[in-house]
Amino acid sequence: MTVRPFSSATTPTETVGIGLRYPHYEEVLNTDLNLGWLEVHPENYFGGGTHRHFLTKAREKYQISLHAVGLSLGSDQPVSEHHLREFKELIDIFDPFQISDHASWSASGNAHLNDLLPLPYTQETLQRLADNVEKTQEYFARKMLIENPSSYIAYADNDMSEAEFMNELAAKTGCGILLDINNTYVQAHNHGDDAWAYIDTIKTEYVGEMHLAGHIEQEEDGEIILIDTHSRPVKKSVWDLYDHAVKRFGTVPTLIEWDQDFPTLDTLVGEADKARAIQAKHLDMDSHRHAAE
Amino acid sequence: MQLNKIQSSFKNLMLDHPDAIENLPDHFGQVFDPGKVAISKRLKIYRNNIIGSLTDVMIATFPIIEALVGKEFLEQMARSFILQNPPSKACLSFYGIGFDTFIKGFEPAKTLPYLPDIARLEIAMNDAYYAKDDLPLNALELSEIAQEALEKVILRFRTSVNFVSSEYPLSAIKQFCENVSDETQSLDINQGGEALLIYRPDLDVRLISLSNEELAFLSFIHNGDSLGYSTSKTLEQFENFDVGHYLSKHIELETFSSLRSNI
Repeated sequence: MTVRPFSSATTPTETVGIGLRYPHYEEVLNTDLNLGWLEVHPENYFGGGTHRHFLTKAREKYQISLHAVGLSLGSDQPVSEHHLREFKELIDIFDPFQISDHASWSASGNAHLNDLLPLPYTQETLQRLADNVEKTQEYFARKMLIENPSSYIAYADNDMSEAEFMNELAAKTGCGILLDINNTYVQAHNHGDDAWAYIDTIKTEYVGEMHLAGHIEQEEDGEIILIDTHSRPVKKSVWDLYDHAVKRFGTVPTLIEWDQDFPTLDTLVGEADKARAIQAKHLDMDSHRHAAE
Repeated sequence: MQLNKIQSSFKNLMLDHPDAIENLPDHFGQVFDPGKVAISKRLKIYRNNIIGSLTDVMIATFPIIEALVGKEFLEQMARSFILQNPPSKACLSFYGIGFDTFIKGFEPAKTLPYLPDIARLEIAMNDAYYAKDDLPLNALELSEIAQEALEKVILRFRTSVNFVSSEYPLSAIKQFCENVSDETQSLDINQGGEALLIYRPDLDVRLISLSNEELAFLSFIHNGDSLGYSTSKTLEQFENFDVGHYLSKHIELETFSSLRSNI
């Protein structure tokens, strides 16, 4: 089977987007925003009615990316046929420029736990995840991006680091990596790892999108655990890490995610502007470098 | 430990009593890197995310129950329901089916006998809200059918259609709860029951109160019986039943699905 690299919908020329969420539906449709694209969770649009209606309208103005949270690709069981079918229907209708899900698991047997749960980074997991990613890519006849998760617990017997695991997955399946900069920061802090070294380990050719979001700090046993809540502005330390990532990976499409305690649309777009300014700074530096050569 | 075993143990722990996390079996505790913060506290973050997010879904689906019993009581019922009935799908739009049956067996809710029927109403409203889009039957489609063939026609309801009957006044309870801040209103819970058709003609969910003969007729149609059979069986019970009247009414309401291949 030939797998199309990405969608027939071209990658947006404006590389910064925001997650489209219910409280902003009307305003996004009625305002001219300096945004290239919108991202939604397909699981929220499997049914008809209001949500499908607004997504149809939004698609008339913007390119979209379908970012799934429910394929449970890391489960030691096949991906749900029902989920694949419903997701495919949306791909056929909305022609997203990108589709993605996570390197995590949610389903065990018939229970779906509604969270992106961590995987042990072993050869066994890599094989199982790769198998599910390949079957999903075959079903959709296109490649997808897989996102690195945030995590609060690590496994004792990992065969490799998370960054190595992500590279191996991309090499095995041909999928791209959706590098979530906040998740990188959160998991590195929580497990005593180096987020900057993580970014430097990820191979440049794999990264097809980046995510930015806010997290909160929670104190446990006198230690700070970072919780990936998507409920706050992006932290300064995460912007710094993003700066480092843009320098390494270039201006790939970047998304601002915000899923709880929703801000005004202006605040969200303001965060997108900050990401664009960092991209512009590096583009500018690159062009100066080329001019000097 | 194999991936399959890790995931089923993890799942069981998340759906167990919260105390189970404090008493992790050794073989499972050793799966994780000890880290600086106790493993039980880290696992609790996941449990709180899972149960908390599903509770939020339930609260959003059952606003009338929340108005009747308060948020705390609904949360308590929802948490017990979630642990016994975790979602089987990642798409949570229809999560909460079975909550009515659960409430019937929930001891603290025994004094509120109308609560399971309210849950059925809200499940039907939620189902209609998220139902797949489809096209309604229009009068022209029926007029194109020859008179003699008409009685063999099998009409189907739109995807969003659900029926809920109760010995309690569901619409009045709903209305009361939607205006709960109005202290001048009163509600007689024993004023008599009601049969409702719940559906979504376009973007908004509607409730249609049905007469007895209308309910009988629509039940035959819903059962897949032909127009002719449904009419004659209804006439056996209600001799003044006027099929033309109800057919026009429901074509106008757009409760029937188009006879042409639908979306």
